[in-house]
Amino acid sequence: MAESEVQLKTWMMGGLEGDAAAHAALLRALVPLLHSFYRRRLHGTKEDVEDLVQETLITVHTRRASYDRNRPFTAWLYAVARYRMIDHYRRRRLSVSIEDLEDILISEGFEEAVSASLDVENLLNTVSPKQARAIRDTHIDGKSVAEAAVGACIGESDVKISVYRGLKAITSRIMGA
Amino acid sequence: MKLNTQQLIESLSRDVPRVGANALAKRIGFGIVGGCLVTTVLVIGVLGVRSDWQLAVLSFSFWMKWTYTVSLGGIGTAFALARLARPISGSLRSLWLLAIPVVMVAGVGIHELATAPPDTWRALWLGRSWIICPWLVLTLAAPIFAGLLWAFRTLAPTRLRLAGAAAGLAAGAWGAAVYCLHCPETSAIFVITWYSLGIILASGAGAVIGPRLMRW
Repeated sequence: MAESEVQLKTWMMGGLEGDAAAHAALLRALVPLLHSFYRRRLHGTKEDVEDLVQETLITVHTRRASYDRNRPFTAWLYAVARYRMIDHYRRRRLSVSIEDLEDILISEGFEEAVSASLDVENLLNTVSPKQARAIRDTHIDGKSVAEAAVGACIGESDVKISVYRGLKAITSRIMGA
Repeated sequence: MKLNTQQLIESLSRDVPRVGANALAKRIGFGIVGGCLVTTVLVIGVLGVRSDWQLAVLSFSFWMKWTYTVSLGGIGTAFALARLARPISGSLRSLWLLAIPVVMVAGVGIHELATAPPDTWRALWLGRSWIICPWLVLTLAAPIFAGLLWAFRTLAPTRLRLAGAAAGLAAGAWGAAVYCLHCPETSAIFVITWYSLGIILASGAGAVIGPRLMRW
């Protein structure tokens, strides 16, 4: 069971105040989140995922000072997790095919981060219906890309591109473009 | 023997020091102030304070140089702080602020040239120390860059080249501000050329070595 942004942030703030129990609760709650984050992106071995989860927990612990308390916790967490993954690729000198690149670049935890302060539906209305549907299917309703493609009668790469472009448009809108 | 995740969490949770809300600003500030102290010692000890400093601190040119370098250093630092030390970096649009001090000093420089006879332009522009000025600025930036590096290495920058360039810019500008204690040059056209060149060199050096040294 994934914990909510609000709960995670409360624990994070507790940890920053020096509350060891809150910090431990946070790290424990992050394990399943990070597992699914890396499993989805890394077509590697189980050990790689395990290593990355542990490295990310250590990073969350040692670089807590770089978290801005005025921003959503999950956004920070996934930014750290993405950096860890890119670093993992760099260290192993692996290259990533362009097909998988988009899986890496999409912003996980995006909806949690956004719904904290903004209405997702309003934002989806600002992008094209096709992009909105693709984002809703894959990021809110939890369908796979293949299911979303069948549902919308479009190709899988079209779904991926729609999600990517739609999220990018929404992100730049939120960033105050 | 690999550590199991549960054990890892337990061992990490054994030591949870409090992190103040301004911890990030404090670390970066500490890095800069520490670096500036070393640079100041170098300027006073090795280069020496300019002999006419009592007169100089009353002059327009001294404060123009100081305002220029301090404002560039301030903007570079603010960027390092607000945007580049955290994994989620926001928009870099406010970088245009760097243009304000540049345009202002360039304006003073143009006014200088316009009011001086053309045969003195070359002397105004090159001064007595143009060959060495940018290199001194670059050298004096090194301790401040080291201080910033120390701060960044405990934080979480993700755009390392940019973070390195910003740290280099801030270090170059603060280094140049300290160098004002020694530098006897007075013309704005000198400052806009050779000081800026030194700061750009520092920023470029930061961009080159940033990704190597800031990786985490």
